[in-house]
Amino acid sequence: MLGEHLTQEQADEYAIGSLEPELERAIALHLAECPACRDIVRDAERLAALLAVSQPVRRASPRLRQRVLTAAGIRKPGPAWRAFTIGRAAAGLAAIIVAAGAFSGMLGLRTQVNALRSQNADLQRQIDEALSQKVALAALTQKLEDQEAVAAELRETLKSDSELFIALISPSSQVAAVVSVDPSRGSIGRLVWDDDQKRVWFVASQLRQLPPGETYQLWVNSGGRYYSLGTFAPDDAGFARYETRLPEGITSYDTAVVTIERAGGSPTREGPAVFFVTDLSRLTRN
Amino acid sequence: MDGNPTPAGIRNIDRAVEFPRPAGAELAGRTEWTDEALMLAILERDQHAFAVLYDRYVDLVYSAAYRILGDAGLAEDTVQDVFVRLWRRPETFIAERGRFISWLMSVTRHRALDELRARGRRWKREGGPLGDPVESAEPVFHPGDPDPSASAELAEERAAVRRALESLPADQRRALELAYFGGLTQQEIAAYLHEPLGTIKTRIRLGMQKLRRGLERHR
Ligand SMILES: [Zn+2]
Repeated sequence: MLGEHLTQEQADEYAIGSLEPELERAIALHLAECPACRDIVRDAERLAALLAVSQPVRRASPRLRQRVLTAAGIRKPGPAWRAFTIGRAAAGLAAIIVAAGAFSGMLGLRTQVNALRSQNADLQRQIDEALSQKVALAALTQKLEDQEAVAAELRETLKSDSELFIALISPSSQVAAVVSVDPSRGSIGRLVWDDDQKRVWFVASQLRQLPPGETYQLWVNSGGRYYSLGTFAPDDAGFARYETRLPEGITSYDTAVVTIERAGGSPTREGPAVFFVTDLSRLTRN
Repeated sequence: MDGNPTPAGIRNIDRAVEFPRPAGAELAGRTEWTDEALMLAILERDQHAFAVLYDRYVDLVYSAAYRILGDAGLAEDTVQDVFVRLWRRPETFIAERGRFISWLMSVTRHRALDELRARGRRWKREGGPLGDPVESAEPVFHPGDPDPSASAELAEERAAVRRALESLPADQRRALELAYFGGLTQQEIAAYLHEPLGTIKTRIRLGMQKLRRGLERHR
């Protein structure tokens, strides 16, 4: 019934009590959770109250005072209460005479009011702190999640590293040097062929970035035929680490090359060779 | 008095606060206090603060109740109900967080309208809520009289609203009074006056606007 904030008109109608009961309830519900509209209504209610007290004033009966007092359960009002009924002029005089004593009363009250204010400030500060801690906690949680992702990546890398390490020290592995066709550049990496794990690793650095549309592709030659081991791309630093399973039906290779092929790789070797592989194990085993 | 307060909020007042009460100076000192300060003291069961607040507002509460009920006896009953409630449940004011006079008048209006409805007097009374108050035969103290109560600020605001009210077109003023003192909804006012609802809404809107402007000009 009340979708948005109150208009001034609605606030006025609410304050003066002219709304139908359903709308009045809807507004009351809205006010319960909207400080902005409460401010508007508070002003309107002040105006309505002034309307009430701007009517012709009638004096209430003096007898009514004792009646109200009794009804409120205040049985012994004390001498000061009676003294005050003597008249406002006398009370005004008393105010001047006892100003000092009264001031101490005001001071006490002010202290209380200030204490309450500072309690409110303390509470607000505690809420702010709790909120900022919540924000910090959320950031920390995010950081933790990020770190967990990094840790998972690192664990994966570590696993892969340890597998590579095992392959490197395994007597059944063949470790070959990856050499550039450009004679001035020499060895840039290794090819590790592991019969036990049935896997092959290609690790190289100083690779140049290829233009879009081109990719590095790794081939092994076995029995006079080239088999593709897949494509790879170096990272920003020119480093590539590529691992894959041994092709089906092949237990050894004679030579290996890296060519530049069109993006996605070629089914058969077409592009120019940029690196070739020299079998180190043959050298070291000798 | 000056010790560190425990951080329990306003409820703490109920038990922990002790207001100093210099003998003989109670009422005289408290007459200088604001309404809100007096209510704080009443929370602490300060009877003298209650007496000061009663004297400050009894005539206004009585007059508003009389305006609604049109009957001295019923208006006195309303005064009693309002002030007894104020003494017994002062925290209801603290919780509502408005100005004291707004709360007091709101309580008075609701209490008096309840009384009116309970007695089914809304349409019947001569000189009641639907009549014109100045035509009443009973003695009436107009704002020109020395203000018996309340603060100078409130007295000035009352005068400003009173002036604005007097300069309102009669139909706008009537619509406001039927709503506030008669306890009628806009639809009931429209039916009572045989006017379209939209006309009544406009009168109330314009009436409140003019009262607000009158009050702002005073400030
Ligand atoms: Zn709102």
